[in-house]
This record gives sequence, C-alpha cells and structure tokens, in this order.
Amino acid sequence: MKKMMMAATALAGFAAPALAQDEVRLQLQWVTQAQFGGYYAALDQGFYDEEGLDVTILPGGPDIAPPQVLAGGGADVMLNWMPSALAAREGGLPVVNIAQPFARSGLMLTCWKDTGITGPQDFIGRTIGVWFVGNEYPFLSWMSQEGIPTEGGADGVTVLKQGFNVDPLIQRQADCISTMTYNEYWQVIDAGVSPDELVTFKYEDMGVATLEDGMYVLEANLADPAFADKMVRFVRASMRGWEWAGANPEAAAQIIIDYDETGAQTLEHQVRMMGEIALLTAGSTGALDPDAYARTVATLLAGGSDPVISAEPAGAWTSAITDAALAQ
Amino acid sequence: MGVLAPVLVVWLSLWAVNAILTGGGWDRYLAVRIAVPLIFGATILLVWEMVVNLMDVPSVILPPPSAIAATFWDSRTILWGDFVQTILKGALSGLAIGCVLALGVAVLVDRFDFLRRGLLPVAGFMAALPIVGTAPILVMWFGFGWQSKAAVVVLMVFFPMLVNTVAGLADTTQMQRDLMRTYGAGYWSTLVKLRLPAALPFIFNGLKIASTLAMIGAIVAEFFGSPTQGIGFRISASNGQLALDMVWAAILVGSLAGSVTYGVIGVIERQMTFWHPSQRR
Repeated sequence: MKKMMMAATALAGFAAPALAQDEVRLQLQWVTQAQFGGYYAALDQGFYDEEGLDVTILPGGPDIAPPQVLAGGGADVMLNWMPSALAAREGGLPVVNIAQPFARSGLMLTCWKDTGITGPQDFIGRTIGVWFVGNEYPFLSWMSQEGIPTEGGADGVTVLKQGFNVDPLIQRQADCISTMTYNEYWQVIDAGVSPDELVTFKYEDMGVATLEDGMYVLEANLADPAFADKMVRFVRASMRGWEWAGANPEAAAQIIIDYDETGAQTLEHQVRMMGEIALLTAGSTGALDPDAYARTVATLLAGGSDPVISAEPAGAWTSAITDAALAQ
Repeated sequence: MGVLAPVLVVWLSLWAVNAILTGGGWDRYLAVRIAVPLIFGATILLVWEMVVNLMDVPSVILPPPSAIAATFWDSRTILWGDFVQTILKGALSGLAIGCVLALGVAVLVDRFDFLRRGLLPVAGFMAALPIVGTAPILVMWFGFGWQSKAAVVVLMVFFPMLVNTVAGLADTTQMQRDLMRTYGAGYWSTLVKLRLPAALPFIFNGLKIASTLAMIGAIVAEFFGSPTQGIGFRISASNGQLALDMVWAAILVGSLAGSVTYGVIGVIERQMTFWHPSQRR
C-alpha cells in the first residue's frame, strides 16, 4: 500500500510540469476597475488558461509607479501611458511598447462654467488641478504649446498637485481639474453637479492627446524568445478579453466587482465606466498605430522650453508581438 | 561577488581607522571627536558609491551619491523654494502654533485639575490620529497651501508638547513652592518665576521631539495635495518621473533641515537650562 502511494505521488510529481503554465504578472496602473476590464475578462473567461498562461493581475494605486515595479522585477508586463513610458525610457529604463489596446485618449479638463473659461487661453490666471506620478506630461506639454507658463502668477496657470479625487473642483479650490471621461467626470456628476454647470476640454478635441493605456515590457526581456512567445500569447488572450468586454459590458463590470479586493467599487459606476472605456478601445486590434505614435511623440517634443522628452525615441515600440498575436 | 572585494577592503580599513581613533584615549582632542563621525559618514558614502558602480545598479533603483550631489547642486534654486514652502512656511509655523497652544493648555491644565483629567486623554487621541487620514481632510478644510500642512503639524506636535510641559510644571518640590509662598508670591508670580523656568528642560525635550514630528508631518501632508512646490511634492513627483536622484536630493534637504532645527534647539537649550544636571559636561 505504501509503495503504491509513493508511486502515485511520484507520478503526480512528474505529471505536474506538463500541466504547468507560464507565469505572467501584469502590473495595472490603477486600482481594479473597468479601465482594465479586458484583462479581468480574459482571466475570468479562461482566455489566458487556453493560451497556457498563469496570469497574476497586480492592481496599482495612488503611489505605485508601474515603471518602477517593472524595473524592480516585480512584474513582467505593465500598463502605462505613453508619455510616462517614453520619459522612463529616456531616463534610463528601456521599456518597449508591445501592444496598444487604447486607441483614443480619455483625458479631459473639467471646469466650472461660471468661471467663464471657453478656451485654453482663458486658463491664464486660473488654478488647475493636475495629476502627477507620470500623468502630468500631457498637460505640461499642452501648456507649453499654448505658451502658458505653469509656475503660477497672473500671466500663467497655478497648478495644484491634485489627488486622485474631484474634491478640488467641488470645494472650489481649483477652477479646473483633470478628469478621465470614464471615471472622475462621473464622480463630479455623482456629487450632484449638473453637466450644464461644467465645461469640458477633451485632450483629443484639443489636438494634444497622447496615447494612454499600453502594454510595456523591458527591452532585455524581449530579447528572450521564450518571453517573447509568452507575450504573444498574453497579448492575443488580452485582446480577446477586450473584445468580450466590449460586447458584454454589464457582465464585464460584474467581473470587476467580483475581483475587486477593496470592495470600494459599485456595479453602477463600473457599468458606466465599461461603456466609456469601450469608446476608447473600439476598433483597436491591439496593434500600435504608427501615426498615433508619431502624433504622441510630436506632442511631447513640442513642449517648447520644457519638453517631456528631448529627443525622438528609438526602439520604443515593436510590432513583432502584435504581428504574431494577430496572425492567427 | 569577487567584484565587491575592493568595497570590503575600503570598509574594513576605514573601520580599523575609527577603531584606533576611538580606542586609545585620543578623543580628548576635539579634532578626533569631529573626525570619527565624519569618517563613518564618508565610509557609508564611499561604500554606497562603489557598490552602485561595481554592481551596475540601475539608477531608477538606487542612484550613486555622486549623482545625488550633482542633482542637489544643479537644482539648488528649486530645492530652496521647496525648503521655504515646506519647512519655513509649513513645518515651523505649525510648530510655533502647536507649541504656543500646548503651552497655553498646559498652564490651564495645571491650574484646573478637572481639565487635566478631561483634556489629556483627548490630546492623546488627537496624537494617535493617523496622519494619512487627517492630511486629506485638513487639505479639504484649509486648502492646498501651507496652511493645511501647518494644521497637520499642529495636530502632531500638540500632544508631546502638552505632556512634556505638564510634567515639567509639576516638577517643583514642595520646599520650592513653600519658599515662593513665604515671599508672598501669588499663583501667576510663582508660575512665571519658579515653575516655568523649572519646566524648561521638559519643554525643550518636548520641542526636540516636536521638531522631528513637524518635519515629518509637513512633508507627508504634501503627498495629499499641494501646490507644485514643497519637499513632499518634490519627492512624490520626482518618484513618479523616475528621477530618483532628485528624490534623494529632496530627502537630503529634509534631513538637513531636521538636523539644523534639532541643533538650534539644542544650542538654545544649553543657554537657557545651563543649571540643569543634564547639561553638565
């Protein structure tokens, strides 16, 4: 009997490697929410399993900078906005874009209509809330292009380091705040403000939009064929997840609620967010559009005296992964 | 690991130098007393620099001291502005307000016993409030400027100052108080001429604790909302931009400010409480 048990255990031990899946750790750039619906959908619906991947999704948060997590080896692939990733690349951390699920930008400035602001030049002398930790680049670039200094004073804008909430607008500490079309704008509406009291400036409409959520890995890792193959499968399964989430927003929102460890999200908010996110991912196969990339780089380089990046990046993105992922 | 052999050599030899200097009674010379901590500090910096360079540590993880010093020098105007915003406007004003409040309440608590029983636990509760919870609330109440940072500092320093001052005011012997009574001194004369001077060692003790808390409070409070200036803002924003050398430069400014404040308080203490046994050389 004992010999049978030992034999059975040994067999199970030998069988284990055959079932073992490749591990992938994905670092999100914010807390679990519908902004990452595609990845959670892929996880929940088994798309990663089907590709032989054991994916761990690491939620982000207010002071987690995904490039740092990637640099420290805490994750294999991160989500990041392109300005932040390009700045990190120029700063000495060689990250490479392998996929771009978000084709459009959801960043916008939301202002009180009673401030009389009708256009960017009206920002002069006003107080604007801006996110930092990597999210300040689009705004700084835009102000530089408009020729408006950001150090405060009567002929510039006063910038507040906005926390990731909408209090500065509600409390009238700022005239405008940074919002995402899918999140903070709705927090302002939920706080009882009517859309008629607000005037918004979408970065897409202003022509200063930069590419947002993209998947990035370390260049050194990409040189390893096994890792590259893992990423091909990961991208393929993730894009399947995004398609599924786009087609099933309510179910995708419910998946987010199920996976939300903080318990802070509500179904209603997530359904609305999923709908707005679908507008940003619609039509994207995950492949980075070279024209959109060029527009982002041009916006960042046009920063005048204070550009976000000082030189045209080289090798900052690759189509190798998405070409292989979408070939099937 | 053989690449670290030079580091080991440097470290052990400087350690040996310090061991010799501290062992043989050389510390009767002022020069030696100054040299020993300087050598220790220099050893840490040297080892840090050598390890980062020899092991090719990426600068987004840990920059070498040479890069930090270069950034500190290049950004000295920016860092000076941050220093004024956080330390002078936020921390020191909060420290002043908090200490004045604490002194006032301590005198009241000393005068009226029922206040002691009621107020001390409340002050203790205030001190226990986590700063990461109170800072966002105070930013909402007082705005993004230095006022909210000063408010956070007041909350943090009030309890240590109060407790120390109350203990100090009680630290007079019956004989001393009786002597004042025989001179016909009333409550307020006794307070000003006997009990407050006797409480000074305790007050300075509280001030030293409070000054460290004030630095921490002002810097951390800036993480939750600030204008685009300040040491806490600089640390947070530079961290987000992966400019770790700037993060360390800002940390250096904060440490220098804390050390200088502590030193200044120590010097004033030595002048004002020269009579206390703790000041004997």
